[in-house]
Amino acid sequence: MNRRDLELLSSYLDGQLKPSDSARLEARLSADAELRAVLSDLRSARGLLRQLPMRKAPRNFTLTPKMVGKNPPLPRTYPAFRFVTTLATLLLFFTVGLNFLAPQLASQSPAFGMGGGGAPEVFSAQAPAATEAPAADAYATEAPALESPAEAEEPPAELAPLPTAPFEQSTTTREAESPVAKEGETGNAAVQNQPEVQNQSPIPPAWQIVLAGIALLGALVMLLMRQLAADRWRQKS
Amino acid sequence: MDEQALIHDAQGGNLDAFNTLILHYQDSVYNTALRILGDEDLAADATQEAFISAFKSISSFRGGSFKAWLMRTVTNACYDELRRQKRRPTTPLEPDTEDGEEMDSPRWLADPNMTPDQKAEADELEHALQHCLNNLPLEFKSVVVMADIQGMDYSEVAIAVRVPLGTIKSRLARARLRLRECLQGFAELLPASFRLEEGSSA
Repeated sequence: MNRRDLELLSSYLDGQLKPSDSARLEARLSADAELRAVLSDLRSARGLLRQLPMRKAPRNFTLTPKMVGKNPPLPRTYPAFRFVTTLATLLLFFTVGLNFLAPQLASQSPAFGMGGGGAPEVFSAQAPAATEAPAADAYATEAPALESPAEAEEPPAELAPLPTAPFEQSTTTREAESPVAKEGETGNAAVQNQPEVQNQSPIPPAWQIVLAGIALLGALVMLLMRQLAADRWRQKS
Repeated sequence: MDEQALIHDAQGGNLDAFNTLILHYQDSVYNTALRILGDEDLAADATQEAFISAFKSISSFRGGSFKAWLMRTVTNACYDELRRQKRRPTTPLEPDTEDGEEMDSPRWLADPNMTPDQKAEADELEHALQHCLNNLPLEFKSVVVMADIQGMDYSEVAIAVRVPLGTIKSRLARARLRLRECLQGFAELLPASFRLEEGSSA
């Protein structure tokens, strides 16, 4: 028995053959005892399988929301609370970071210019015309004589507008008092002014407290919303 | 039951609608899993997994026979279960007695509506059939279970197992022949009308 005949017989049994194929097979069946025997075997096997009793499911397989990972429906206002809470939290971190970093940056920038004590003097001398090109040229020509080689390589640091107002005021005032100010004196003035700069926070702490309050309150409200929604959902299902 | 409406609702995330479909199809799905796996507990697990998987992927159902689509899901769940079994030590398909011997009439074959004699005969025949089914290659078994036990037509079976119609015909024919050969060993259990004539098998 070849595979082709086997398939033909099985399909014939299920009425899946075309009428012309069926007629041809029936003609062969009437003449071939082996074909008839195989057809009988296939019919027997199919009959036995069809006799197998259908078992009733041992339990209901209905699904619960938890089984399919569904979450309880949240109130429509929930996304708004989430947005506000996230924003407040981000702003809080930003302001804390800013307040922490600002004094450090302010204290670092004069140090760059100190370079042996000459820089503040140079800076103050150039300050009134800092945006003017001739002043920049003058700085460029003066720099090699006044600063160390390392500083000369980094003129942008010298031009950075980081020195704060009190710093500029104090240096210019001193210059006004004694036009030939000593380098060391100017350097000391910058150092004396440093604590003043560090105490200044760009963002008032009151704002941080407000932001922290909003973030905490928002998180609390969101938590309550979720719990209430879950309870309501559980009761419903 | 408006099946199309329920499917549509289920695709929109309505779990109640899908549960209605489950209640309608759970016996068929469970029986398919039971005949492929040959174990009640494994079949129940595979059925549950199949319905969970079906709900999660119901958006991929694009019409046609929903039963065939469900059968594909349960067949995949059965394949996964059999793969898991291969990776870990297995328990025998037939439950053992306390002495460690195989039970003649396992609990999972019991039917309370029969007389003891009928029950014993039916249990033994069913046991023999399940034994022969278990010996079939998996790809033959899933086809013969769907076509001959579930009564699905060839095209539905082809959808369910994702193979061409010609392959279904071939697998079904070979599976039936193998089953018949296997059942020769249980000739005394077979009803008279199904007994194999001596030397008739090819």
